Amino acid sequence: MRILLDKFTKSFGSLTIIDEMDLEIHDGEMIALLGGSGCGKSTTLFSICGIHKVNGGRILFGDRDVTNVTSQERNVGVVFQSFALYPHMTVEQNIGFPLKLRKETKPEIKRKVDEIAAMVHIEELLQRRPGELSGGQQQRVALARALIRRPDVLLLDEPLANLDATLRLEMRSEIRRIQQETGITAVLVTHDQVEAMSMCDRIAIMDKGQIVQITEPRDMYDNPVSDFVAGFLGSPPIAFVKGRISGGKFVEPSTATKIPLGAKIAKANDGREVKIGIRPEYFQPGSGTMISGKISFIESQGRETLYNVTLPDGTILRSIQSRRSPSKIGDEVEWGINADQILVFDQDGVRI
Amino acid sequence: MLKPSSRPHWATKSLSADTKTPPEGEIEMGNSKHLGLWLLAPAGVFVFLFFLAPVILTGVFGFTNMSTATGITGGAYMISDTSMRPLRSRYGENELADRLTQKVYTIDDAGLKAALEAGGDAAAIAELGDKFLDQSFDRRRGVETAIKSLSARPSTTRGIKIISAQFERSVVNVRFDSKEDLLVAISDFGIALNEGQTEALGQVAYTGWTFTTQNFKTMIELPDTSKTLINTLFYVFTTLILFNTGFALVLSITTHYMPAGPAGFFRSIWLLPRVTPPVLYVLMWKWLAWDTGFLSVVLEPMGFAPRNWMLDSPANAWTFIILINGIVGASMGMLIFSSAIKAIPQSLFHASEVDGANRGQQVWHIILPQLRWPILFITIYQTLSLLTSFEYILLATDGGPGGATEVWALSTYLKALSNYGGALQYGYGAALSLVLVIIGISVSLIYLKLFDFKNLTAPPKIE
Repeated sequence: MRILLDKFTKSFGSLTIIDEMDLEIHDGEMIALLGGSGCGKSTTLFSICGIHKVNGGRILFGDRDVTNVTSQERNVGVVFQSFALYPHMTVEQNIGFPLKLRKETKPEIKRKVDEIAAMVHIEELLQRRPGELSGGQQQRVALARALIRRPDVLLLDEPLANLDATLRLEMRSEIRRIQQETGITAVLVTHDQVEAMSMCDRIAIMDKGQIVQITEPRDMYDNPVSDFVAGFLGSPPIAFVKGRISGGKFVEPSTATKIPLGAKIAKANDGREVKIGIRPEYFQPGSGTMISGKISFIESQGRETLYNVTLPDGTILRSIQSRRSPSKIGDEVEWGINADQILVFDQDGVRI
Repeated sequence: MLKPSSRPHWATKSLSADTKTPPEGEIEMGNSKHLGLWLLAPAGVFVFLFFLAPVILTGVFGFTNMSTATGITGGAYMISDTSMRPLRSRYGENELADRLTQKVYTIDDAGLKAALEAGGDAAAIAELGDKFLDQSFDRRRGVETAIKSLSARPSTTRGIKIISAQFERSVVNVRFDSKEDLLVAISDFGIALNEGQTEALGQVAYTGWTFTTQNFKTMIELPDTSKTLINTLFYVFTTLILFNTGFALVLSITTHYMPAGPAGFFRSIWLLPRVTPPVLYVLMWKWLAWDTGFLSVVLEPMGFAPRNWMLDSPANAWTFIILINGIVGASMGMLIFSSAIKAIPQSLFHASEVDGANRGQQVWHIILPQLRWPILFITIYQTLSLLTSFEYILLATDGGPGGATEVWALSTYLKALSNYGGALQYGYGAALSLVLVIIGISVSLIYLKLFDFKNLTAPPKIE
C-alpha cells in the first residue's frame, strides 16, 4: 500500500522535531529512513504507526487519511528495536496476539500462526517463552507478530541494533527475503548505512527533521546532493579536500596538486573556493592525478587494507586497497586520484 | 566431607607447607567475618527476646489454663468455694466438702495466747485453759457457754466475745504453699482423708495453672468461635479484594494512564490516611458517623433520623470497618503496583497498541500478567497484616454492635489482655493466637500454590 506523508509536522512541547516533511513510499517498496541519532527518523516511524500524535499535515495509507486514526485501527506491523515481545506469553501467543484481539477463532489463529512461523522458520519454537529464545529467534518472532495480520505497512525500528555481527548479516537478508515474499510496503529506520543500502529499494536520508535526499542506494552513493549525504554513505568514509578552482582545475593549496575537473563545472565556478570529496576506492597507487603525502595510519580489514594519507596541511585522504602494499606508517607516498570520480561541493556543502 | 580431625596426616602437612603467610587483606577479611557476627549479636538478642521467645511462650501458654485467677507463676493450695464446687460435682464428695468448709471452735494454746493478746480477761483465760483445753465446739455459742460457766467469767458480753473469737478454726481461704502443708492442716483440723479424697483434693485445691488441652476443646464448643472465624474471613477477604489489592490496582492503573503531574497528586492524596495517626484517623470517622455527626446532620433533612451510623446495625458497622481499613490499606498496594507498572518496558505498551489492544485489553493482557509477583506479595502481606491487626476495629467499634465485628485477633486481645471483668484468660488467648498463626501460615501456603510461586521465581532458562 502506498504511504504518503504530506507536510507532516511533529513537535514535542515547544520543540519541533519535524517540520512539514513530505515523503511518498510506493506500494511494495522497502524504504530506509537513514540518519544519525536525533534526526527524527524514529519519530517519523512512530507517527506513521500512530504511537505519536501528528501536530500538522496528513498521513495517508493508500487513499485513506489516517492522520487522526489511533494506532489500534491503523493496521500497521511494527518490529521494535528491543523486539517488545510479551514475556509472559509463549511464542505462539505472542504471534497470535493481534488476531486474538480481533476475536478471531482459535483454529483460525492457529492456522495463521503456523503459516507465518513456517515463513520465518520458527516452527519448533512455538511453545517457548521469549526468555528462552536467542536474539535472532526473538527477532523472527517479532517479525512474525508484525506480519500476521497482513498489515498495510511494516515498520522496522532499528531491528538489527540488538543483534551480534553474524546474526545481523543473516537477519538482513532474512528480513529482505520476507519483505519481498510478502510484497509488503516496509519502512526501515536505521543509523547504519550498510543496512540501509543492502536491504532497501530506496533510502531517505534525514538530517535535523528533514529529508535531505531520497533515491536508490547506488544513485545516492554516486550522486549525493550534499557533503552530508556523501559523508554518511560509504565505509570507510569519503575524504574531503579544500581548495580553489582555477583554470579548469582544482588546486590543492598545500601540495599545489592540480586535479582536472569536468569542463562544465570548471567553467561555471572558476576562481571559487570549493571542497572535493574523494572516496577511498578512487585514491590508489599507480594511476590518476598523483598527490603525495605521508601515511599516518594503516588498518588491516582482512581482504582489504585502509590507509590514511596526511597532506602537508593536515588534510587526510583515505585509500582502500585490496592488495597490501609494503608501505609503513610514516612513509612518503605518491598515489593517484581518479579525477573522473571526484565530487565537488561548494563551501556550504551543496553539490556543484 | 572430611572433618578436620579425620584429615590424613599428609594432607595437613602439605596444606601447611603450601600455605604461606597470607597477605594482610586476607587476615582482615577473616576477622571481619567474626566482627560481623559480633555486630549482629545485639540484633540476635532482640530477635530472641521480642520475637522468638514470645512466639515460643505463646505456643506453650496455649496449652495451659493460665488466667488472672491462676497467676503466671506457680500457684498455692486452698480450700475455697471455687475449689469445693468441682469436688462436689466432679468427685461427688459432698460430705467432705461440707466438713472442709465448716468452722470449728477448739480451745487450744494458740487460741488462749491470742485471747490474752487481744486483751481478754487473764483469769478467765487461764481457767478456760485448765477446764476445756482441747475441747471442740461446732458453734461459737458453745465456746461462749463454756466461758460463761467459768467462775472467773468476764462480766460483760464484750469481754466474752473477745475471748471466744480467738478459737475459731477453719481451713477455708488459707493459702498453703504445698499439698503436704494443706494435708497436715486438714488432719490437724480433724478430718481424716482416704487415698481417693487426698488425690481429689490435690486436684481441686490447686490454684495455679496446669497444662491442659481444654482451651482447644472450649474453642470448638463455644458458638462464639465459629462466628468470630466467619467475621475474620469476611473482614480479611472483603477488605483485601475490594481495597488492598482491588482498589490499589485501580489506583495504580488509572494513575499510570494519567499525565505525570495529576498522577503524582492523586497518589499523594491516597497516601495521606497512611500518615495520619490511627487514633485521629478513626476519630474522624467517628465524628462522621456519630448521631450528632456529619452524616446525621446531612441526612436529617432528607428524613433519616439522626443515629450513630457506625454502630446502628452490623451491616453499617462492617461497611465502616472495611472502609476505614481499606482506605488506609490501599496505599501500600498502590505504591508497589505503580512502581511495578513503571518497570514494564514502554515498548510493550507501544507494541500492544499497534497490535490493536485498547486500554482494557492492555490492562488485562499486558499489565496484570506482569503484576503477578507484586500482586502475590501484596495479597500475602496484607492478608497476614489484616489477620493480625485489629487496632482500627478496636478504636472504631470495639467489636460491636454486640460482637458483630469481633474478629479473631480482637477476640484474642479481649480474652487475654483486656476483659471488662478483669478476669484475663492468658492461656485461652494464647491458644486463640496459636490458631491465628496456623491460619496465617496455611493461607500463605495456599497463595503460593495458587500463584504458582516456583514458576514465578524460576530463573530464565537462557540469558
